[in-house]
Amino acid sequence: MHQTVPQQTLIDCANLTTREINQKLKALASESIPTKLLNPAGRHNLAVGITQIAISIAGPVGYYCGGLSDNINIEVFGDCGWSVGENLMSGNITIHGNASANAAASAHGGKICILGNAGSRAGISLKGATLIVTGNVGYSSAFMMQQGCMIVCGNAGANLADSIYEGTIFVGGEINSLGADAKLEPMSDADWQFLEHELAALNISAKDYNFKKVICAKQLYHFKAKDWANY
Amino acid sequence: MCGIAGIIYRKSELYKNLGIDLLQLIQPLETRGPDSCGVGIYSNSVPHNIKLLLFAAEQAAWEEVKSWLHSQARVIKFDVIGSGRRIILDTSNKTLDLAEFKQHLATQFPQIHLMSIGQLLEIYKEVGTAENLFQRYQLKGFAGSHGIGHTRMATESVVDTYHSHPFTSAPDLCLVHNGQISNYYKLRFSLEKKGIAFETDNDSEAIAHYIRYQLLQGFSLEQALQNLLNDIDGTYTFLVATPDKIALVRDKFAAKPAAIYETPEMIAIASEYRCFLNLPHYNPNAKISEPDAGEIKIWSTTNKPSPHLELV
Repeated sequence: MHQTVPQQTLIDCANLTTREINQKLKALASESIPTKLLNPAGRHNLAVGITQIAISIAGPVGYYCGGLSDNINIEVFGDCGWSVGENLMSGNITIHGNASANAAASAHGGKICILGNAGSRAGISLKGATLIVTGNVGYSSAFMMQQGCMIVCGNAGANLADSIYEGTIFVGGEINSLGADAKLEPMSDADWQFLEHELAALNISAKDYNFKKVICAKQLYHFKAKDWANY
Repeated sequence: MCGIAGIIYRKSELYKNLGIDLLQLIQPLETRGPDSCGVGIYSNSVPHNIKLLLFAAEQAAWEEVKSWLHSQARVIKFDVIGSGRRIILDTSNKTLDLAEFKQHLATQFPQIHLMSIGQLLEIYKEVGTAENLFQRYQLKGFAGSHGIGHTRMATESVVDTYHSHPFTSAPDLCLVHNGQISNYYKLRFSLEKKGIAFETDNDSEAIAHYIRYQLLQGFSLEQALQNLLNDIDGTYTFLVATPDKIALVRDKFAAKPAAIYETPEMIAIASEYRCFLNLPHYNPNAKISEPDAGEIKIWSTTNKPSPHLELV
């Protein structure tokens, strides 16, 4: 099950428990040996809580892939389930496919790229990471976002950025509706430069999209009960 | 965290796979809920007759049940199946008052539970694993046009066969649900005031009764489900099946998961994407999508619903 090829270790998930896989990954991470996971078959909790390792995953993964990780580089060649990269501290997670709900939930740092669509609540409670989705994001994305950046090339579902505190969201397509305390802000030259720079790595030109910028209106910062009706 | 799954075929050549496909689809969901497993399958149509599935948790006086049934209608079949009986009643010459029939059954044989009634629907459910259920009732070879399944993690009521899913509230109508109904008591109270009798304390049963009540008011299935989105609070993704349809409803907050797998041959719905990878004829080119918040989706079979049986 454990076959070493030059500079990359292969782990076949088929006959291992998730705990065994993650224990192997931790051992390999202590020596920073790049690893490839075969036959993930949509399994949950792969590569959770791992530091300093490059992992490539050949196939779809389930919930929480790469969650709680630090200084990692994960590439998934397939779709992923709920909460990919939840609470990521630093590093990169790239999904060559679609993501289900809660992508990059509470991620503190690093970058999570979804090269497809993401489901509802993408970037929920984002705390400093960058989330890039080249397709669409679902209902209530960036809910309670606190810091960081979310770039969506496609459309955003209803209730985008509801109760956002801080951070910036760029949407290249249509926004179904904004949530409470979110507002549109004119795009500056610096914003376009930033987007060109961020998307260049994905061979995407920001100019091909009609990017709009969403930030916090900061009205809820001073919420008073008498203003309840406004919400 | 329960698991729900459903299959509806677009080609009748595939009907023979229903049992095994449904088992493969539901099995990965056991990690979401290991308490019980159940399926509602649409198969073996008995036009102009009525099919009943009766179950008893303990010993029951089946001979007495049989002779009572004879007094109601001619009993064509009375097969032993697991801890119950699969019965076909000949109603071609005589219309049976189903409401009265159900009431009499409940009072005369309180230890017997009516699992399902209809011309197509058969409900099998039990505490334990999917493999167990499918073996006990020999469901792997079961053929049919569509079916839904459930694995349960009990949150709101006890773990026993009767509180397991699917729930039925009318002939040939059944439902599986993942989530909780937060206005359950209000909803139940309002349905009870309309004369609806609840059999369990499970909140999912209330959804089944609500849908039946809406259909009885003359609403289409789609309109009934639209009304439901406004009247039922909570987190829910559920599948409701009728003789020729499966409908999927996701709550307005998209709080509970669901994924849809679509090929020219079939549609499969499951709580988790990985279930599709388990399908015996998994097609990597299938269209896979997730329903939006507050979305209703309805798929139809090629079956024509029989006009004989009406909602009661």
